[in-house]
Amino acid sequence: MALRFEVLGRFNRARAAQLTLPHFACQTPLFMPVGTQGTIKGLTTDQLEEIGCQIILGNTYHLALRPTSELIDELGGLHKFMNWPRALLTDSGGFQMVSLLHLADITEKGVTFQSPVDGKPMLLTPEESIQIQNRIGADIIMALDDVVRTTITGPRIEEAMYRTLRWVDRSHKRPHEQNLFGIVQGGLDPVLRDICVRGLVDRNLPGYAIGGLAGGEDKDSFWRVVAQCTAALPEDKPRYVMGVGYPLDIVVCSALGADMYDCVYPTRTARFGTALVPEGVLKLKHNAMVNDTRPIDPTCACMVCKNYTRAYIHCLVTKDAMGSQLLSYHNLYYMLQFPKGDVPEWVCNAMDVAGIDISSCCSS
Amino acid sequence: MALRFEVLGRFNRARAAQLTLPHFACQTPLFMPVGTQGTIKGLTTDQLEEIGCQIILGNTYHLALRPTSELIDELGGLHKFMNWPRALLTDSGGFQMVSLLHLADITEKGVTFQSPVDGKPMLLTPEESIQIQNRIGADIIMALDDVVRTTITGPRIEEAMYRTLRWVDRCIAAHKRPHEQNLFGIVQGGLDPVLRDICVRGLVDRNLPGYAIGGLAGGEDKDSFWRVVAQCTAALPEDKPRYVMGVGYPLDIVVCSALGADMYDCVYPTRTARFGTALVPEGVLKLKHNAMVNDTRPIDPTCACMVCKNYTRAYIHCLVTKDAMGSQLLSYHNLYYMLQLSRNLHSSIVEGRFPECYIIPDSNLCASRNSNVVRFLWQFPKGDVPEWVCNAMDVAGIDISSCCSS
Repeated sequence: MALRFEVLGRFNRARAAQLTLPHFACQTPLFMPVGTQGTIKGLTTDQLEEIGCQIILGNTYHLALRPTSELIDELGGLHKFMNWPRALLTDSGGFQMVSLLHLADITEKGVTFQSPVDGKPMLLTPEESIQIQNRIGADIIMALDDVVRTTITGPRIEEAMYRTLRWVDRSHKRPHEQNLFGIVQGGLDPVLRDICVRGLVDRNLPGYAIGGLAGGEDKDSFWRVVAQCTAALPEDKPRYVMGVGYPLDIVVCSALGADMYDCVYPTRTARFGTALVPEGVLKLKHNAMVNDTRPIDPTCACMVCKNYTRAYIHCLVTKDAMGSQLLSYHNLYYMLQFPKGDVPEWVCNAMDVAGIDISSCCSS
Repeated sequence: MALRFEVLGRFNRARAAQLTLPHFACQTPLFMPVGTQGTIKGLTTDQLEEIGCQIILGNTYHLALRPTSELIDELGGLHKFMNWPRALLTDSGGFQMVSLLHLADITEKGVTFQSPVDGKPMLLTPEESIQIQNRIGADIIMALDDVVRTTITGPRIEEAMYRTLRWVDRCIAAHKRPHEQNLFGIVQGGLDPVLRDICVRGLVDRNLPGYAIGGLAGGEDKDSFWRVVAQCTAALPEDKPRYVMGVGYPLDIVVCSALGADMYDCVYPTRTARFGTALVPEGVLKLKHNAMVNDTRPIDPTCACMVCKNYTRAYIHCLVTKDAMGSQLLSYHNLYYMLQLSRNLHSSIVEGRFPECYIIPDSNLCASRNSNVVRFLWQFPKGDVPEWVCNAMDVAGIDISSCCSS
């Protein structure tokens, strides 16, 4: 184990903690921007430090393709390569395998796929995934899991859940420098999820992720899986809900006891001209922005909101990359500041279980 | 007049000065990054201040199209709109008219062109150009000139030169904000010294705050280029800024400064960054090249910029052409390089070190902090300094014959 997790405060199931990793002492709940291929699109690492980013996610699949994990290793690891002194987390590569590559085939050995570089058949095994991640050198690494979309039903879900447990055992580690997190699978089935949680907890890992969500399932099922897992996972270890997400989802999951999140949403939506604001979203492309001299968010203290108007950014979006850059900066700042506010019914239900009374905000 | 120009140091024709503009006190020689449409691609204004940018050029043509000068005016002017507290210069719109629009037609009235927005015929007159620039609000504005490419010959050049003078008078008459914005006239006349002389004297008679040397940097041979610059700088007033438009390559800036010019602009550093090329003392470094794949050195080990202090060639190689971040980081470095070049020109002239750095490229002086400006000679390790450079330096009174092979 190469981390320390210390809970500093609680409110019912929600907890605020310090997660001390080899490269950085993080405060949770936390949001991890996704720096897919060794960079967060549009921001220098100076700017990332400026906005208070603590930990960045790198995608193993993309990095293994370019510039390759061997080169990263040769050049001293990903921290050094991308000039990021704080914490890093790499995923296992599995998700991209199945989401990006139509010809991916999953067997007990691993994930067989067609290399996008030269079309040759390749195999990503749990062992290989960990080796790649060892070379990259992130503070937290993820076990290769058999991920199944929550919109699928049938025996495949059970098969994937058990296989995930077997694959965790094949994931060797660098326990003193990198923390291997296991990922809870089992679709939307509480019985399968329970078996998986207990199997992973038995293996006494440094931390746990709740996987297989944020993939199109209805929100009411989503929060129930999160609630179940956070209730069953150990109190004294970090809980990471993968692929989440929208500010509202993060607030709800934190109320239910989760600690860590990642999502491409803030940066991706920035590239479509959309800013995150307390009221929801602001579409900078909209004609109404053309002479709006207010900042994106008058309550936001970020460099963009302090210096640029909606009118200016409107002028840039979709025409100049600067528009995306400035919106990415603001959106990440927004996510890292942590959003604290017609509330959907699923939110009311979730908050009820979380012991937080928001009934005065709910219409029903 | 809304500027003050004070020469602080000289070496022969070269001068270092303070150019005090409404929004900023600049040190010359200086390089202006081109922020075409209200932004320098890839850099926030914080970063521009970080690297010491003093003045940015905005293109009137592009701004008039988007977001329009009326909107900029309504929102308080371009400084406020783009959040740039330092100085701005706008060009007249004329150059883009003729370079971008194939159907542009120039008459005494102005430039008739087809609007790229809706195809309707439009007319840019000197009066309209100044009105647009008045709305944009830059510290320096440029008179609409009749620009002719130097590769053209014949009576068109003379016609354009005289028209430029007539248009300057219309610009002066139309200028509503002479106490806030400085109208510069542009010397035209192609490569013909007689025409250039007439134009210079005509503009000087009009007692403008500053003067630009236009119509160059358009494909003419270098030997003709420097001669026009030399002639104009010799004839323009000593106590006013001289701006060579569209220049350029580091070498060209050093030579023009030796000949007595003060201000420059060019898209080159940022544009070449977007093609994966970095500016370095030895010339250029192509980050796309396979040799970069595991090169752990910074782009330029002697460069103090954020990019060179934090990122390796290997990392940038990995990004260029695949991620916009590559262009961003290279733009940052390239602009820092150009601005550092200008700073070093200024300080070496003020401190009297200008000539030593030229003559002794491998001396300890040139290994020192302030001499990278003139390590342009490192581009020619075999001593094959182009002849035009030798000729120009000769006129500038700087002896680099020991570096020249011929």
